[in-house]
Amino acid sequence: MRIITHACPACGTVVAANELESRRVMKCPGLHCEEVHRFDDLEDEEREHFLENKDQYRI
Amino acid sequence: MKGLILAGGRGTRLRPITHTGPKQLVPVANKPVLEYAIEDLKEAGITEIGIVLGNLGREAIQEHLGDGTDFGVEITYIIQGNPLGLAHAAGCAEEFVDGDDFVMYLGDNILEGGVTDLVESFETGDHAAGIALQRVENPQQFGVADVDEDGTVKELVEKPDDPPSNLALIGIYVFSPAIFDAIETLEPSWRGELEITDAIQSLLDDGRSIDSAIVEGWWKDTGKPEDVLEANRLVLEDALGTVNGTIEDGADITGQVDVAEGAIIEDGAVVRGPVSIGEDVRITADTYLGPYTSIGAGSTIESAHVENTVVAGDATIRTSVKIVDSLIGESATIDTADDLLPEGKRLVVGENSQLKL
Ligand SMILES: [Zn+2]
Repeated sequence: MRIITHACPACGTVVAANELESRRVMKCPGLHCEEVHRFDDLEDEEREHFLENKDQYRI
Repeated sequence: MKGLILAGGRGTRLRPITHTGPKQLVPVANKPVLEYAIEDLKEAGITEIGIVLGNLGREAIQEHLGDGTDFGVEITYIIQGNPLGLAHAAGCAEEFVDGDDFVMYLGDNILEGGVTDLVESFETGDHAAGIALQRVENPQQFGVADVDEDGTVKELVEKPDDPPSNLALIGIYVFSPAIFDAIETLEPSWRGELEITDAIQSLLDDGRSIDSAIVEGWWKDTGKPEDVLEANRLVLEDALGTVNGTIEDGADITGQVDVAEGAIIEDGAVVRGPVSIGEDVRITADTYLGPYTSIGAGSTIESAHVENTVVAGDATIRTSVKIVDSLIGESATIDTADDLLPEGKRLVVGENSQLKL
């Protein structure tokens, strides 16, 4: 299974695509980081792959 | 070489303690479990550490460890979110690992012997992965490895009826970046998780070499209350009896008793080591602290009898009832009901608590 992640450009915290997708827009989970992350920050191709295989990223 | 510590997981078997904090911060001999993993990695020369966080205790762990400076390491946080398995956690770290080899360490495990042997053994050959093994008496309940005389793994089997050896996989691994290709080929298992043993098996199937190292000394997974007590007991066996606090004249101390700064053991108290007493703890007269007890910072133990017990910080124990084999959470109060009428115990007990009265 392909694992897609996004690294915060401000603090370096890495966020898994499943976390981004479940919240769509989220404050960076890095403590005291003001950055906002969006599922849309992922590449088009990564988003498409994730959405096509969404069931795999759920528990 | 980098380090990856898995600190997701929901800690369900440690409820109610884990209702308010992650299991990786449960104190063992007055030190959060997670810090033992960091120390082991550091001892093996690894200072770039990724910490994988789930949904629970994200802030608490980041607040405790910060960027790692206080621990002499550099920490990157990796948010896995849902617990999709150990291989998913590893996969989330690909960007952090950035082409290096890395040690993967389950954040609720404590090892007496550290990871240096495993790392050195892995580095002597051209291996795709290395696994830590320990001899167990009940291999049927573990993932088991069959290895040749050099320690190269021939076969892995999960909870076998007919185990090929008594060598169980414990939660410590070394991986080359080849693991990421293996993870990409995996499908979620029946329980909906990406299994790390499946990833290692796929490396084996591809003819890649998997090294192993047998971990000498004890190993403890601190997933359940009795495991926390056992780990606490094992760590306290090596207590040094370092006293930075105050032991009043007339306090009766035997064995190794660590007393942190600001703590006081008052005249008339009896303490039988090994015992660990955290910062600013007060042990009053008429208190008995028995072996294998850790009292967390800021707690007060007043005229009580406590042994083989882990008390987290800021707790108060003031009762004539003997407390043994117990795990007591942060800011808990155990008071006496002796003078109260009608006679009986008074309890405010949270969800999933367990009491034996
Ligand atoms: Zn950030």
